[in-house]
Amino acid sequence: MSGAAPDPFGNALIRPGRSAPGPDGRRKVHPLTPLVHGLRVVPVIVVIGVSLVSRGRPEGEGAAVLITLGVALGLAIVVTGLRYVAWRRLTFWFDSDGDLRVDSGVLTRQERRLQLSRLQSVEVVAPFNARLVGLAEVRVETAGSSHSKAVLQFLTTAEAQDLRNEIVARAAGVRPDAGEAPEQVLVTVPPGELVASLLMRGTTVLLLLLTVAVIIPTVIAAGPAALGLVVLGGVPIFTVFSEFSSYYGFTIARSDDGLRLRHGLLRTAHQTVPPGRVQAIGFVQPLLWRRRGWVRVRLNVAGMSRDGRGGEQAYTEHTLLPVAPWPVARAVVAHVLPGVDIESIALEPAPARSRWRAPIQWHQLGVGWDDRVLVAKRGRVTRHWTVMPHQRTQSVRVTQGPWQRAVGLASVWFDSTPGPVKVVALHRDAAQAQELALAQAQRASSARARDRTTRWAQPPP
Amino acid sequence: MDAFAPSDEGTWLPVSAALGRSRRISLLLAYVLVLAVVVALFLVPDVPRLVAIVVAVVAVAVFVWAWWLIGRRVRAWGYELRPDDLLVARGIMFRRLVIVPYGRMQLVDVVAGPIERWCGVATVQLHTAAATTDAAIPGLVPEVAAELRDTLARLGEQRAAGL
Repeated sequence: MSGAAPDPFGNALIRPGRSAPGPDGRRKVHPLTPLVHGLRVVPVIVVIGVSLVSRGRPEGEGAAVLITLGVALGLAIVVTGLRYVAWRRLTFWFDSDGDLRVDSGVLTRQERRLQLSRLQSVEVVAPFNARLVGLAEVRVETAGSSHSKAVLQFLTTAEAQDLRNEIVARAAGVRPDAGEAPEQVLVTVPPGELVASLLMRGTTVLLLLLTVAVIIPTVIAAGPAALGLVVLGGVPIFTVFSEFSSYYGFTIARSDDGLRLRHGLLRTAHQTVPPGRVQAIGFVQPLLWRRRGWVRVRLNVAGMSRDGRGGEQAYTEHTLLPVAPWPVARAVVAHVLPGVDIESIALEPAPARSRWRAPIQWHQLGVGWDDRVLVAKRGRVTRHWTVMPHQRTQSVRVTQGPWQRAVGLASVWFDSTPGPVKVVALHRDAAQAQELALAQAQRASSARARDRTTRWAQPPP
Repeated sequence: MDAFAPSDEGTWLPVSAALGRSRRISLLLAYVLVLAVVVALFLVPDVPRLVAIVVAVVAVAVFVWAWWLIGRRVRAWGYELRPDDLLVARGIMFRRLVIVPYGRMQLVDVVAGPIERWCGVATVQLHTAAATTDAAIPGLVPEVAAELRDTLARLGEQRAAGL
């Protein structure tokens, strides 16, 4: 790009730094990246080595430790070398349309273009090993398949933050050098409340029992020495610790570019969810949380799931708030859906004969709507309360099993993008189910006609 | 009002009876395997004759029932093109009605396996951003399927909305 050419998208405004653009306007990630990847294998190899050594053979212990360290070092060097080649190939830049382009790949070249008008979320994540050297990665997700995302590893924390700001500014349709929009912190989850909420769940009790069930037979069969192996192999209760570590210090801040979520003890994540991208919201309340009035808030956001990475990220990315008292949760959701008062929407209960199909939860079932959102409620032991803006309805289904048919009931499902939130009006009167479904399809299409959420900061043309 | 009846102003468009033919051929092919098992039971000397007879009777009963069910299930399929959305109904025991707004369709596939092609039917498969949408219309004559695909694509284009 020559200097004389007009530059309406502000490509020349990129700040100098380690990832400053090259002569062709392309940027690279931080040169320490290969080393960070390489060093990641060391603890794994050492753990395996130590567990092998602890199996016995005291006479060759010194040699075994040396061999382990040697293997670890060798592998680290190999991985670093491979990652170095990949690092040389990876470039990213903003093209003349203002979209993010990422070129990568050594054997298979890949050129990816992320259309920022379809931006779903931007996240700055610092895994523990990268955080030690002050680096972080930037994850960008746009609507579409699992190919519509990019992970840029690694940039310095400041550069990652700048890149995030630039991406959000471009997506919003303002100047890319607009800088970070000012923010206002809405909630911070206190660690005590987080610990208490994680302990007061059926899942935790189950995991604890499972852990005991794993440890006791192992100790009986192999003696206390085997305990080390069990711990290395991972005990079920660890998932609760990793959930704690992931949600630690959970903070939600509001700004013009959407809600910002920050959380994590070892691995920190700063996520931005632009306004209007939330497809559905679900409140969950396990039995033991009810007395304290706590709820967890989960989201369906297009483009966040379907790649099955599992583990830690699978649940943090969908969580708007790990635990909060109901008024706080409601206040936060009011920022996601401005102008919607969920509590004022009257819910129509399921007919009384639904007790023959759902004897436990039947009087908790309900569905209601206003001109903006649909609300559906279900669940007795764990209560689920789901909210979906009309224009986010993908399709509507009516289903009826033989048992429901016998008592004249049918369920109506409001399909959302893949995610933890399922919006369903269970066990409605069969005679009104189709009417409910068709009416929702109608509300959805008229709401879509009014909707304008891409380039949200740009004045209307 | 029946939840699975067509909307007030419309009627269900049926799928082709050739779908029943193709499914019955699939059933026959599956029964080649069942027949082999039954014959083996009669031939192996260790198996009591009574067991073999019971298995054979059950196999025949299941075959007759499945043959009859295919016809009913094919007749249960129906679809209706409304001004803003597509309705698809199916099922006898577990009944389903799917409403897909045209503006929400992301792509439309026409699929036909070898048996279906031989019987002259194809399936029109609709995809939205939701994985749970599950809207497919099987048993369409290929020309009808292609026409429906083009109609749906055109309507989807006109009413396209973001996510």
